[in-house]
Amino acid sequence: MSATLAFDLLLIVALVWSAARALTVADLFRGVVLLIVFGLLMALAWARLGAPDIALAEAAIGAGLTGALLLDAVGHLRAKREPGA
Amino acid sequence: MSLAELLGDALLVAGAAFFFAGTVGLLRFPDVYTRLHALAKADNLGLGLIVLGLLLHAPGWATGIKLVLIWLLALAASATVGFLIARRARRHGIAPWRAGDGE
Amino acid sequence: MTLTFALAIFLLLNLIVALVRVARGPTPADRLLAALLFGTTGSAILLLLAEAMGQPSLLDTALVFALLAAITGVAFARRAWREEAPDDEPR
Repeated sequence: MSATLAFDLLLIVALVWSAARALTVADLFRGVVLLIVFGLLMALAWARLGAPDIALAEAAIGAGLTGALLLDAVGHLRAKREPGA
Repeated sequence: MSLAELLGDALLVAGAAFFFAGTVGLLRFPDVYTRLHALAKADNLGLGLIVLGLLLHAPGWATGIKLVLIWLLALAASATVGFLIARRARRHGIAPWRAGDGE
Repeated sequence: MTLTFALAIFLLLNLIVALVRVARGPTPADRLLAALLFGTTGSAILLLLAEAMGQPSLLDTALVFALLAAITGVAFARRAWREEAPDDEPR
């Protein structure tokens, strides 16, 4: 098995695992962290596919901006739920 | 293979070893503060060694300057984030681990 | 060439092992620490790939990785971590 194939297979396994966990996990915060992880792995996959521009966009928008916005949203949800409960 | 390339390869392997140490620390250390410590120190030293190793392979000045800039940015970022997370963990009242606490 | 690729595989294995920390917790900070590890290690992988694949433009992607790990960490520490999740006991 060549080195490139091993790298790609590992990347695919990690991608599918993190995507499945991000969808199925019950805790919102854990889901957001897994989404960030998935975005970074996806950027690595784009880089392996020879598309550095899409990798850049995926890292910036998919993992970074969406991740930060969703983390903020989770914080707001928790702060809102706390006084009512 | 020239001496510079051999030295570069050795630095790359040393950097990967530091990354391994950081991952082991993240998995085995007992609380947030020690994990933060392992992550910030070991990983940034590993990144620095890898940058140094790649500098010896680098084709030109422009690539080399960009590599060093990436390292400096990672250093500043991890210092900031490490400070913020540790302060927030302390405000939440998470007690630092002491010898004999178990795990 | 092969050495850089082998090291990239090794670092990717490191990342996959670090996913265990995301799953185990116990505090939200522990989960996010693993995401920060992805930032540093991911940029190192991209640097190695840029060398191995002969694509210098991957260096810019590594720069963005390092930058966005910082943004995620700051957003988490300043805005998101207000209360412990019910299933996470602090330690």
